[in-house]
Amino acid sequence: MGRVFARLLMMVLAASVSVTPAATAQPKFTLQDVPNPMVVEAADVGRFGGTFVTASISDPRTFNVLVAQETSSTAPLANLFEGLVETNRSTTEVEPSLAESWTVSRDGRTWQFKLRKGVTWFDGKPLTADDVVFTLDAAFTEGVQSSLKDVLTIAGKRIGYRKIDAQTVEFKTEEPFGPFLRTIGFSIVPKHKLESALKAGAAEFNRTWGVNTNPREIIGNGPFMMHTYTPGQRILFVRNSKYWRVDKRGQRLPYLARQVIEIVPNQDAQRLKFMARETDSYGARPREFAELRAQQQAGNFTIFDGPPTFSTEFLVLNQNPAGVRAPKLTWFQNLRFRQAISHAIDRESIARQVYAGRATPQFSPVSPANKFFYNANTKKYNYDVATAERLLREAGFAKGTDGFLRDSAGNVVEFVISTNAENNDRVAIGNLVRQDLTKLGMRVTFAPEAFNTLVGKLTGSFQWEAIIIGLTGGLEPHTGQNVWKSAGSLHMWWPKQEKAATEWEAEIDRLYDQAATTIDQNKRKQLYNRWQEIIAEQVPMVFFTTVLTQPAFRNTLANFSPAPLAFFDVETIYYRTPYR
Amino acid sequence: MLRHIAGRLLNLIPMLLGITVVSFVIIQLSPGDFLAEMRLNPIVSQATVDQMRANFGLDQPLHIQYLRWLWNAARLEFGYSFAFQVPVTWLIGSRFLNSLLLGVISFTVAWLVAIPIGIYTARRQYTWVDNTVSLWAYVGISTPTFFSGLFLLYLAFKTGWFPIGGLTSIDYEFLPWWGKLLDKAHHLILPGVVLSILGVAGLMRQMRASLLEVLRQDYVRTARSKGLAERVVVNRHAVRNAINPLITIFGFGLGGLWGGAAILETVMGYPGIGKLLLDATIQKDLYVVMAALVIGSVTLVIGNLIADVMLVVSDPRIRYD
Repeated sequence: MGRVFARLLMMVLAASVSVTPAATAQPKFTLQDVPNPMVVEAADVGRFGGTFVTASISDPRTFNVLVAQETSSTAPLANLFEGLVETNRSTTEVEPSLAESWTVSRDGRTWQFKLRKGVTWFDGKPLTADDVVFTLDAAFTEGVQSSLKDVLTIAGKRIGYRKIDAQTVEFKTEEPFGPFLRTIGFSIVPKHKLESALKAGAAEFNRTWGVNTNPREIIGNGPFMMHTYTPGQRILFVRNSKYWRVDKRGQRLPYLARQVIEIVPNQDAQRLKFMARETDSYGARPREFAELRAQQQAGNFTIFDGPPTFSTEFLVLNQNPAGVRAPKLTWFQNLRFRQAISHAIDRESIARQVYAGRATPQFSPVSPANKFFYNANTKKYNYDVATAERLLREAGFAKGTDGFLRDSAGNVVEFVISTNAENNDRVAIGNLVRQDLTKLGMRVTFAPEAFNTLVGKLTGSFQWEAIIIGLTGGLEPHTGQNVWKSAGSLHMWWPKQEKAATEWEAEIDRLYDQAATTIDQNKRKQLYNRWQEIIAEQVPMVFFTTVLTQPAFRNTLANFSPAPLAFFDVETIYYRTPYR
Repeated sequence: MLRHIAGRLLNLIPMLLGITVVSFVIIQLSPGDFLAEMRLNPIVSQATVDQMRANFGLDQPLHIQYLRWLWNAARLEFGYSFAFQVPVTWLIGSRFLNSLLLGVISFTVAWLVAIPIGIYTARRQYTWVDNTVSLWAYVGISTPTFFSGLFLLYLAFKTGWFPIGGLTSIDYEFLPWWGKLLDKAHHLILPGVVLSILGVAGLMRQMRASLLEVLRQDYVRTARSKGLAERVVVNRHAVRNAINPLITIFGFGLGGLWGGAAILETVMGYPGIGKLLLDATIQKDLYVVMAALVIGSVTLVIGNLIADVMLVVSDPRIRYD
């Protein structure tokens, strides 16, 4: 009996493995209301005060963080709302935020998060597990326009969640979910403020906390509270005096007294305001780098040879039988044809002419900005017209006496490349690509069109031949599964396949499924490395370049530094001199 | 007269119906819908996009959607914006006054400047003054607003005399009432100048042409030979006749006052309604566009009505009944 009991006890103990980040034995500092505040590492201990002014290209569309999709809304709301975990801007590791610790079971399917005690909302009510549960209830409610439900639905099944006690929440997944920690950092909303809206129905909830709400009603627990919003002009934030993070000396953050987001719809006007010292940060365009670098002294700012973006841009050929017919279908489905095109594109020229040299050739679907998952050892396609022509000959293509390329059946290789006309960079790239492909003897027409038309073709009718388009990326490759899995609706070259059309697409499906259910991040990296190798080898998408960013900051600011995700944390940035 | 006015106002109703039906059909039939951006987002599943489509009522047949909109519009409920999820009336109202302010100021300045200059250059036809002013008028008409806007912004940056776009300063909230007025006035100078120049150029040429034609008439020669002073001949007799076509233009201008100049607002960051409506049109934010069309049609008709009434007052030859 005792032995059975002992064995049971061993099983129970073995089933839970504590994975607590950093030492939690004794909190380094204590605040009167928060026994274990989060300590934020920063270079300096800053001075308090000041107003940080930045510019945004457009107005926020909503103040409801669950419904917000675009940066103009999520960026201001990031000042007010926090999640269970967050990503460190320098190390890109997942760190505790509203949760102070968590455990995961040995089988990787059950997670328990312990909330930080003493955290209160702006109106003084405490944060509890009820708020976490409510946020998920709202996200999963039918009709609520939250993309969170898609992120937290794994292989068709919703993530399981329940409250254990006031400070503990438990999550359960059917299979161990590799990207779990990166997807559980969503913003938590207060139940006591939004409960009645959710009860009134999904349509009503979508409209709650819209931009017509009094900003002081938007209750969060982040470093800043929204004070006023003047449509078309600015948003004003004031410091949250009950914030639950401290600096390395135990002082309550944030340092800044106020923040202002000016709404400046024109990039040139933003630059003028930055030069006139009305704003203190500016995301310069690639062409402006050299010029602004020369003006650093005069304008009292520093411009950084910043990290690359997470986005990718590429040419994709339609391999969908429902979209193109022979002979074009045969060409696009031919591996050597695609590889030849990749060799024939002069990426250096694109980097020079479109991005003033502030771009590097790209061959993998993952941007080098994603330091952890980027695979630098994929197949490269150097600019080599001779190799391109050889590959085409091997595939049965031949250049006629009139200079045009013909396939083995004698058809002239001609097709149309489109892109969205509103994006000047893509239009410039398209023109360069057309010229490059004409050297091979292909008759290529470049026809930019309206964004709506393009999307209709890509996702609806599939009646397109070649498109130049881009994708934003992130830290977690799994979020792109709609693009890379053969059944995905955004699997651009042949969406929604019932069964994988080729062996390599089937392999990618397997890799993605396996990576989703593997907890060990290094094992996942191996799987995604293989995926990148396959894509680079098979080139369903011909990638062009990765573009560099060049952020500029006023020298009176301190506690900012180059980092992959962001250059500063809003709670530790401060002004060296009394300013504004 | 009153019967005529009443008749014109009643005409609004079938006209509005016609305009809204045609616009509704065209917007819906053009490729794509508001959810185009969402479809290209890898994180959002097809199911969620379809759900959103249902939420917005975009999966219903066209005539149902239109009738539903019409029924609500008749009760002055213009629906919700897809992009912002706020009532369309709030959205338009939040910037309407800003556009109206800029519109009224530029309109007034343009007319006050254009009419005298037009008269002056007509009287001194082909002198060097006339030629110089004409040249600048052509320059004014040809310069696109985004160019002049950017140029003036750059000027503001270099000289520091004017604010770089916007309508208010950062510390606007903390100013006394007269400070607020001065602050807004200071910000209105540059966008006002851009719009006024555009207006002055065209109006001045129109006034000049119209007056020149009148000055050639026989009765003007008669008036002169009667011994009347040139000033009286021109200002009391000729101008009153020449002003007719301009009153019509005035009416159209009144109708367009609130519409805002989208490009100028984008360039100068002026929080007006033009940019809002342009974005809504591009994104196919259906109900915002429909509400804007209704407002636009109504103001246009009323503006023309006012012009026609003014014509009756100004020209005794014109009668409607």
